Amino acid sequence: MTALDPVTLQVMIGALRAACEEMGAALIRSAYSANIKERHDCSTAIFDAHGELAMQAEHIPVHLGSMPDAVAAVLDLEQRPGRDWILNDPYRGGTHLPDITLISRVFAASGLLGFVACRAHHADVGGTTPGSMPARSTRLEEEGVVIPPTVADSETLHELASRMRFPRQRLADLRAQAAANRIGTLRLAELAELHGERRLRAGMEEILAYAERRTRAALGALPNGSWSAEDVLEDDANGAPRDALLRVTATIRGESLVLNFTGTDPQVEGNLNCPLSVTKSAAFFAVRVLTDPDAPPSAGAYRPIEVIAPPGCLLNAQPPAAVAAGNVETSSRVADLVIAALGGARPVPAQGQGTMNNLTLAGEGFTYYETLGGGQGACPDADGPSAIHVAMSNTLNTPVEALEGEFPLRVRELSLRRGSGGKGQHRGGDGIVREIEALTPMQFSLIAERRRHPPRGREGGEDGAKGRNLRGGEALPGKAEGALRPGDTLRIETPGGGGHGPPDG
Amino acid sequence: MLLGVDVGGTFTDAVLFDGERVYTAKLPTTPEDQSLAVIAAVEEVLRLAEATGSEVESFAHGMTVGTNALLEERGVRTALIATHGFADVLEIGRQARPHLYRLCGPKPAPLVEAGLRFEAEERVGPEGVIEPLPEGEPERLASLVRDGEIESVAVCLLFSYLDPSHERRIAEHLRRELPGLHVSASHEVLPRFREYERTSTTVIDAYLSPLLGRYLGRLGEAAAATGLPQPQVMRSSGGLAGAGEAAGAGAWSVLSGPAGGAVGAGLLARVSGDGNALGLDMGGTSCDVCVVEEGEVRRTESREIGGRVIQLPMVDVHTVGAGGGSIGWRDEGGALRVGPRSAGADPGPACYGRGGAEPTVTDANLVLGRLDSGSELAGGVDLDVDAARGAIGALAAALGMDEAQTAEGIVRVANQEMVRALRVVTVERGVDPRGFALLPFGGAGPMHAADIAAELGIERVLCPRAGGVLSALGLCASDRRRDTTRTVMLSGAEMNAERISAEVEELIASLGGDTDDAEPEVVYEMRYAGQAFELPVPGSTRPDPADLAERFAAAHEERYGHRDSDGEVVLVHIRLAMVSPGPRPRLVAAEAGALEESTREVRLGDEWVEAAVLHGEPPADLRASGPAVFELPEATFVLPLGWHAEVDAAGTICAERAR
Repeated sequence: MTALDPVTLQVMIGALRAACEEMGAALIRSAYSANIKERHDCSTAIFDAHGELAMQAEHIPVHLGSMPDAVAAVLDLEQRPGRDWILNDPYRGGTHLPDITLISRVFAASGLLGFVACRAHHADVGGTTPGSMPARSTRLEEEGVVIPPTVADSETLHELASRMRFPRQRLADLRAQAAANRIGTLRLAELAELHGERRLRAGMEEILAYAERRTRAALGALPNGSWSAEDVLEDDANGAPRDALLRVTATIRGESLVLNFTGTDPQVEGNLNCPLSVTKSAAFFAVRVLTDPDAPPSAGAYRPIEVIAPPGCLLNAQPPAAVAAGNVETSSRVADLVIAALGGARPVPAQGQGTMNNLTLAGEGFTYYETLGGGQGACPDADGPSAIHVAMSNTLNTPVEALEGEFPLRVRELSLRRGSGGKGQHRGGDGIVREIEALTPMQFSLIAERRRHPPRGREGGEDGAKGRNLRGGEALPGKAEGALRPGDTLRIETPGGGGHGPPDG
Repeated sequence: MLLGVDVGGTFTDAVLFDGERVYTAKLPTTPEDQSLAVIAAVEEVLRLAEATGSEVESFAHGMTVGTNALLEERGVRTALIATHGFADVLEIGRQARPHLYRLCGPKPAPLVEAGLRFEAEERVGPEGVIEPLPEGEPERLASLVRDGEIESVAVCLLFSYLDPSHERRIAEHLRRELPGLHVSASHEVLPRFREYERTSTTVIDAYLSPLLGRYLGRLGEAAAATGLPQPQVMRSSGGLAGAGEAAGAGAWSVLSGPAGGAVGAGLLARVSGDGNALGLDMGGTSCDVCVVEEGEVRRTESREIGGRVIQLPMVDVHTVGAGGGSIGWRDEGGALRVGPRSAGADPGPACYGRGGAEPTVTDANLVLGRLDSGSELAGGVDLDVDAARGAIGALAAALGMDEAQTAEGIVRVANQEMVRALRVVTVERGVDPRGFALLPFGGAGPMHAADIAAELGIERVLCPRAGGVLSALGLCASDRRRDTTRTVMLSGAEMNAERISAEVEELIASLGGDTDDAEPEVVYEMRYAGQAFELPVPGSTRPDPADLAERFAAAHEERYGHRDSDGEVVLVHIRLAMVSPGPRPRLVAAEAGALEESTREVRLGDEWVEAAVLHGEPPADLRASGPAVFELPEATFVLPLGWHAEVDAAGTICAERAR
């Protein structure tokens, strides 16, 4: 390996980061569905020729740690310039079906230079329920069209889109993804020209090594030891409410960390199951929060971390298990779990809302998907912020003036859920209240957690308030599907974060 | 005579232009009341020119009153009136968290506390009024405002950009009943969709306007006492407005200071270049960059300042924390980093000899011989080379590099920050920087310009004669400009020539009509039906809709690689500015004969070279080849090996890289 000087290293990190950001801007600005253009539910990244993540734009955490598996899934397939790959199969590089990943190879004179990739959450992928985020699926096939790694030529894209709802919008969003990759390809080629191909290759390698050094230094500063934690998911979509148990043991030895999820319940009949890449992604997120939040977001940061989850358990689900909620809900709980376990090694925050409050609405001519923020758990030295996504998501809300102009919906209220954050020396953040009225007949699907178990406080801080779902005045379970008539309202009150430290008096 | 006064973080600069000569004065800024240094600098420059206030025809002013009050949260006690159920939109924002991995990274506090956010019983939707504003509601809201000891109110109701009737009734009632109160109504400030961005902008407008009113009132009185005309204020959009107009529209002048520099860059790009330049204003703690295209400073429609959104036309200035005082350090992974911490003016860089021990960019430039150890910086600071070497040496030991490599590294990493800023305003907006000249100014810009240009593939650098006071010079030459915008949402048969020109006519009328010398500048923002972001296409006041649609499709193809031949084009917003051209000062080079020539060892391109040193102001037609150093009165311009320079008639050093 050609070692790069510390200066060239910073220069390349900056250039690759700018390229990823530019890819994201092209995707968002030319996309058609509200979930991408208004809520920014998408991510972009650049990989080296070995398929290792060199840099990513700081968009959606759950995408970031799982995109390397998407590139790994096409790495051994035939490589040709101008050939793009598309996939969403959770068991072959994907996360859940609505997240479609487009991967392009970048070639230079000396051969394959690397990959650029982007992932976007599509408004529908042809599942049994419109919007393809069912609350009650039990098999992957019910959740939509499963796309294994496939060459993304125009014919294939048309064929895939034709099996989904609103194929015109699907194709338009896929074109926006192609625009993002085109920009990434151009920028990577320009960098090769500017620095020379060898130096660029060495630079990407050095970024990985640099991120690894930073994470190892941070892990090395923590005490050696082994700590366990448990938490539950609210498995209540299909009949009687039950709790699914998740368990982790975190072991620090020197500068490395093993996260062992053995002891977690087997995969369930519903869709809370996670493919291993989602579990890893959530685990990496939590470690990064507790070690070096500013390390360059590259795969090197994950090298010191080993994730173990026995095949067939809820956190390493096997086909044909349904996974729609794994990516959005279980991932949040995995992050909670890892943070709780590492609480043995260093001070950690209280639990945040621990859910994304996924709401899908669909009727004549439309599907609409949104997720809602809530309270962040308080930190040892600061209050938790209110009304934000706390862990694996960072999507925006849809402006009322954009939503009502495009869909037959009326927002009745959007406010802070005051007092929902747990009291403590530092307070948990407050959740959100959002009440939406249907103006035409439509179906809804709701996937939410922390409706039966509150986000926990820490070090004597109080718990945050549990979330609530209401149709009219009628309470709904955490996961629900049903119909809305014109004039019906759905009111979602999202959980508050836990407090940290005993409250005064 | 034209007078321009620019207030910066450290210095207040005045420029007086009498048609032939440019007189300049530089005094320390007086943060507690900026008008004190403004008037003192004016008196100084008048003294130098042996002129009186009454000879000044126009007095243009750029300031940081609004920026500082916003960043330091020192605006007035402000209330918000929102639609029932939506008073918290200001605090919830777009639910984005400020930092992905710092879980408790703070969100900026809302400028209106929860107890002062009032809700109006009413609702407007995309098709018009849903719940009418009840009788007595404006009166009820006025009494809440009266009881709250409130100085300013923002009114922002849902969909007021489509139907402002409720918002207007409330605002008019408040203005009538509470005459001392400032009222910002969102349909007047920003009639565009997306309620959070509109609310945020309107609240900032209300929060700052009374402060600006008081400041400009004081300045106006002081100007009158000096015999000066009333000041005209630089707005964020890069045009001047009368003090009275500016005082009532606080959100419009938040970038008043950087806008003056951007306009100055635009002036120089026209005078000394082909009109295409990237402005690079590097001061002590930060660097502002902007893009000048065909002589016009590029604008943006939205940005965040201190984490708060302002969605108004502003010069597209991007700021990074790289300045002469930025500190170099080694991080945990062993990389060399520079900034964002700065040694500021006190203690300042190690070489100031005031107790600064950490190595700064200025120290690195001194160790590399780019700054002369015998020179005196603005403010009369003598430079201490040994102190600079000590600070650099300590960092070098930590990095395992030698002193020169470390100093070079600090400069390169700082340059990279500026390169990144320039990439944000060029490549990230789809513009190729190689078609531009780099135009450095501010105290430190010219020293770094050639290396930054090389990094971006730029072949040409324009270093202005008055680089140290270019912002103030820009103020002298600014256009008068009034901006407005409107969401029209026209497509299909509605997007016809009559309808579009009628909308434009109304916009012109809303700005007070067609005055004698003002020319309309119209931009049509379009997208395909279903998208959320528009691409701007400039056009006439009576455009052909088919031509607009075609130019939009071409822009879309250029930007994103495809056009949607079945897609319906929607004209979403029309932006209009009425522009009265400002004076065009004739800039001239210095007389020959005032240049001292010598040589010294300078570290350039990884080696020590003997460089020509030209001290003073170079005359027109002077030629030089790198390696050379121009020591101008307020800045140092470094010309590396492989660069050639020629001074033009305006005194600008025009440098080109040999191919």
